[in-house]
Amino acid sequence: MPADAWAVSLAIGERAHSKHKSERVDRVSDQDPQQGRMAGLVSQQDRRIDDTMLIREAQRGNRGAFEELVRHYDHAVLRLALHLTGSEHDAQDVYQDAFLKAYKNIGNFRFECSFYTWIYRIVTNLCLDHLRKKNVRKEDAPVAKDSSGGEYDLLDQVPDVRAGANPERDLMRRQLGAKIAGALDKLTPRERMVFELKHYHGLKLRTVGEILQTTEETAKNTLFRATQKLRGALADMR
Amino acid sequence: MKCEWIRESIVLHVYGELADDARHELEQHVSRCADCAAELKAEQDFHAVLMQDRAADPTPNLLASSRMRLQEALETAQQGAWWHRLAFEPANWLRQVRFSPALASAILILGFAGGIGTSYKFLGPRTTSTTVTDQHPAQALNDASITGIESVTQQPGTNQISIKYNTVSTEEAQGPLNDQRIQQLLLYAARNNYNSGVRMDSVGLMTQNPSDTHFRDALMYALQYDSNPGVRFKALDALGPYVKADTRVRDSLLQALVNDSNPGVRTEALRMLEPVKADGSVRGVLMTLSAKDSSQYIRSQARTLLAQLPEID
Repeated sequence: MPADAWAVSLAIGERAHSKHKSERVDRVSDQDPQQGRMAGLVSQQDRRIDDTMLIREAQRGNRGAFEELVRHYDHAVLRLALHLTGSEHDAQDVYQDAFLKAYKNIGNFRFECSFYTWIYRIVTNLCLDHLRKKNVRKEDAPVAKDSSGGEYDLLDQVPDVRAGANPERDLMRRQLGAKIAGALDKLTPRERMVFELKHYHGLKLRTVGEILQTTEETAKNTLFRATQKLRGALADMR
Repeated sequence: MKCEWIRESIVLHVYGELADDARHELEQHVSRCADCAAELKAEQDFHAVLMQDRAADPTPNLLASSRMRLQEALETAQQGAWWHRLAFEPANWLRQVRFSPALASAILILGFAGGIGTSYKFLGPRTTSTTVTDQHPAQALNDASITGIESVTQQPGTNQISIKYNTVSTEEAQGPLNDQRIQQLLLYAARNNYNSGVRMDSVGLMTQNPSDTHFRDALMYALQYDSNPGVRFKALDALGPYVKADTRVRDSLLQALVNDSNPGVRTEALRMLEPVKADGSVRGVLMTLSAKDSSQYIRSQARTLLAQLPEID
């Protein structure tokens, strides 16, 4: 088998060799060698075909297929959870809960939206729960206060020892990050979520609407409110 | 008032979310209205400040440990079976009923179905296990009647294999490896058992006879899809000797080499491919690995193997 065609079946999976599979969707890509890529570099078209087959397999109870599916999304999911919760520990919990929930419910996935939207919906709901719980517990959280009464993160005091780091610029960036984080805390969970998805993860507001199961118009209004609040909270910044 | 609409649109504009006709209108208005022009500039400046704050990428360690934790949890997690879909979650349904009263009657029906559905759960494989020696040796087992495999053991010093499996009660089959029922059960156990120990036991027994085509298929399946690296490793070792004779084995080893998440499995796959390193597709993979693989060991091993090959013109 020539290397290119072989690479195609690698990207799609071992489906050609198994006697038990009845899906033949992969034949489309099989015939076009230019679509072939080494695993991990699948094109958009292949990715969609790939996902559909993996989902169907996972729905039949194939845990390996589900795990492969997870690998297509888990970096983005972890990044979202990490930035939103601000803690590696909480991010891992959200990650675990999200994918376990996906595993348990994949039988209910009916392809009426993309898997991308579906998984983001699960993660977002978990993040919203986290934000709501955090709001309730805010008074109890131990926080360091500096002499002017403003809060500061103890980790900001750790110097950056990486070679070539610009200490002044890094310090300014961390201070900026801390100020923004403080301002973000003032948003409602939904406003925070919309802003997070749009600003930090570049999703289109139409997608954000689908994820939050609301309209694009509502998402737009929410983004507007969120940015107005942030501008107010950070008005002294230059 | 127009300016109010413009103010709202400015934020969308800055995030690239404005439709083309709205964007045109905004640009027209801003060129005539000083207030709105100032607002646009202020919003753009603010946006520029915010853009300096980026979401950090998770460290490779965090991602890897998250994946491992998930894998372990998946081993014991049960996928919702058909009867779970009939049982309903009250909170979700209540939320929906609030907005669509038509669902109220549907809930009543589903409530009954859910009630009936959940009762099936109790008839699962957790009945008291009775060991019954199989009384119909000539009869092949119906896959659908098996609900789970409890254990797979080989009597030491003999060629007798003993498998405890559940249908509605627990039964046990005994026989040598070439017994059809034993083979059927081993194949089932390798794919369907949630306990990685049982899967490993059945894969281990299959390695005694990897020339059997069903076993070889099952071994290749285990190599690609089993969540436990120990099981994958065992399957890999069994398949290794057949890499020259069977191109499917060669391809499945290549697949493991490129895709497996466990470095031990990948390294072993590379070792097992040595007899066929001259093959076109193997050579292609080796070249890519020697240049791009993230593991230094794999890169250097691939290079070593390539160096042993004669140059092709």
